[in-house]
Amino acid sequence: MNDRTTENMTIKPKKNHRSSEPVWWALFSAGGVCFAVFIPTAILFFGFLQPLGLIDFSYSQAHNWFFGFWGLMFSGAFIILPGFHAAHRIRHGLHDLKVQRHGLIKVICYGLAGLISLLTLGIWFTGIIS
Amino acid sequence: MTYRTTLSRTWWLKHNAFKAYMLREATVLPLTFFILCLVSGVYCLWQGESQWNHWQTAMGQPWVLAVNLLAFFASLFHAWTFFQLFPRVMPIRMGHISVPANVLIAGQWAAVLSVMVLFSWLFWGKL
Repeated sequence: MNDRTTENMTIKPKKNHRSSEPVWWALFSAGGVCFAVFIPTAILFFGFLQPLGLIDFSYSQAHNWFFGFWGLMFSGAFIILPGFHAAHRIRHGLHDLKVQRHGLIKVICYGLAGLISLLTLGIWFTGIIS
Repeated sequence: MTYRTTLSRTWWLKHNAFKAYMLREATVLPLTFFILCLVSGVYCLWQGESQWNHWQTAMGQPWVLAVNLLAFFASLFHAWTFFQLFPRVMPIRMGHISVPANVLIAGQWAAVLSVMVLFSWLFWGKL
């Protein structure tokens, strides 16, 4: 009788019941590193120095630079991973504010992050092949 | 009937530690704004030169500059809290000695600085 109970307790969840949470938490952590390490510099350069005219980032320069290998790296480290990080925190922030529609919030948050990622990658890809 | 505790939406206003937590969580809002700025920049770059120039003008709008200033401090605040977390989550050992938390935190700030140096070199440096 005792053995049976132990056995039942250690049963692993079935494959089709696997939680998607580890994926979101992994994206959240990776995005957190990007947010902390890369984003301050990006804000400094693209948010202040460029609009204030302290650096010259011409169209052809930006175009050559983005539609290449570094553009893909930039998309991942500055847009996609921080995007999923933000989605995860907005989701849990709404939970903290007692918004109860958990399923809907989850779909909207990660859905928007996914759409932004697809848009960025799509732009990068069509820019590369044209 | 089981007893259920009820929390109001403003539960976090009752304690300074909770307020600090919510402030940290709120840093995500200006960050999201800046990510959307970057996405629109990429989109404008894709559309052509005149749109690219429009994007640069839009980024110079006073209210955009103001939100991005907020985003800049938010990212540094996030970095500050995040870097303190790292040595606790992932302590690093070299042989018998574990690397002190201060060294790990300093190392992460060095990473932030090196990205800034890299960008400065890209935009101002000559090769």
